[in-house]
Amino acid sequence: MGLLSSSATFVRYAVEGELPPNFLDFAAERIAANAYRDIDDNYEERSVGWVSVLNMFDSSFEYASFAAGDHIVLTLRVDERTVSPKILKKFTMKEEARLLKERQIPKLSRTQKIEIKENVKLMLMKKAVPSPATYDLCWNLSEATLLFFSTSQKAQTELEDFFKKTFDLSLRLQIPYLTAEHLLKPEYHDALSRLTPDILI
Amino acid sequence: MDLVDLIVEKRFLGQEFLTWLWYKSEERGGTVFLPGTGDTQLVFEKHMLLEYGEGEAFEKIICQGLQAELNEARTGLRMGKKLEQARIHISQGEYEWHMTLKASMLEFRSVKPPKTMAGSEEGDTAEAVEGRLLDRIGMLETATRTIDELFRVFLEIRTSPAAWQEELARIRQWIHKPE
Repeated sequence: MGLLSSSATFVRYAVEGELPPNFLDFAAERIAANAYRDIDDNYEERSVGWVSVLNMFDSSFEYASFAAGDHIVLTLRVDERTVSPKILKKFTMKEEARLLKERQIPKLSRTQKIEIKENVKLMLMKKAVPSPATYDLCWNLSEATLLFFSTSQKAQTELEDFFKKTFDLSLRLQIPYLTAEHLLKPEYHDALSRLTPDILI
Repeated sequence: MDLVDLIVEKRFLGQEFLTWLWYKSEERGGTVFLPGTGDTQLVFEKHMLLEYGEGEAFEKIICQGLQAELNEARTGLRMGKKLEQARIHISQGEYEWHMTLKASMLEFRSVKPPKTMAGSEEGDTAEAVEGRLLDRIGMLETATRTIDELFRVFLEIRTSPAAWQEELARIRQWIHKPE
């Protein structure tokens, strides 16, 4: 459902803030600094970064540039190791039973239980394979608008935070009311703000 | 007002727009006039979702079928429901778009832009790849611009009390028109 899929789903953002001079150089440097780092071969829980829209394994933009005409096109890649609560519960119970037997004690303290759960989680997390998610974006520099190809609120929050971290610019989701403010001349804004729902029947 | 309050309080704006757009497309048999562009074909098809009320009184109906069979959706309108989601077909010249608009958040879903050149025709050079990207972006931006232009027409009427009362009378007539 991304930028290049045959069927695309997206929301729109306004990009707020002034672009620094020599913006493309600035963007290249910030994108490189925030490019995706692989975590397949280590134990990190999570990695977030930019990759090419054409290839999620290309974080150095060797195959295609992130600049296309007056647009910047990027994919936000988020890889995460997760452990399902069911699996965590199973292995925690197993470890608790093992310790009770080993130490020959009737029950474990609350602190011991928390510690066991944390250790089990860490052990399972190391075994978990990071699951990837990718979300495309297309930023129109001259119009300061951005299409983001996901309607998931979690993905949108991730984008807003990571975009701010990368470019030091804010994103504002364009819900109908905000789109209306952009479309209408200022003399209509007062009337717009006073609108209330009408009954159409 | 922060974004969360705006989303809740102004939710009606997108829904009234989409309902108005349905009326507008039927007013001239599937053609709407866009200032600067001219006549654009716009047809509501297949899928609609209507909503009514809030909280426990919240109701929604999903209607599917061909354009001529959207009677259930019309009945929903007569009961005071508003259009929240609809599948739309837009044609401009030789190009055609299909898209689902989600009204309250103005989300574009399952947008199928016109097919232009096949990837293999252009090769895999950096220029060709950029060309294909720009082609796709252009088609998606044309779709959003068209919807924005229609939204602007609606807003200019909606924010003018006299023009809106006249339009509202026509919309009511359309809603209550016998099948």
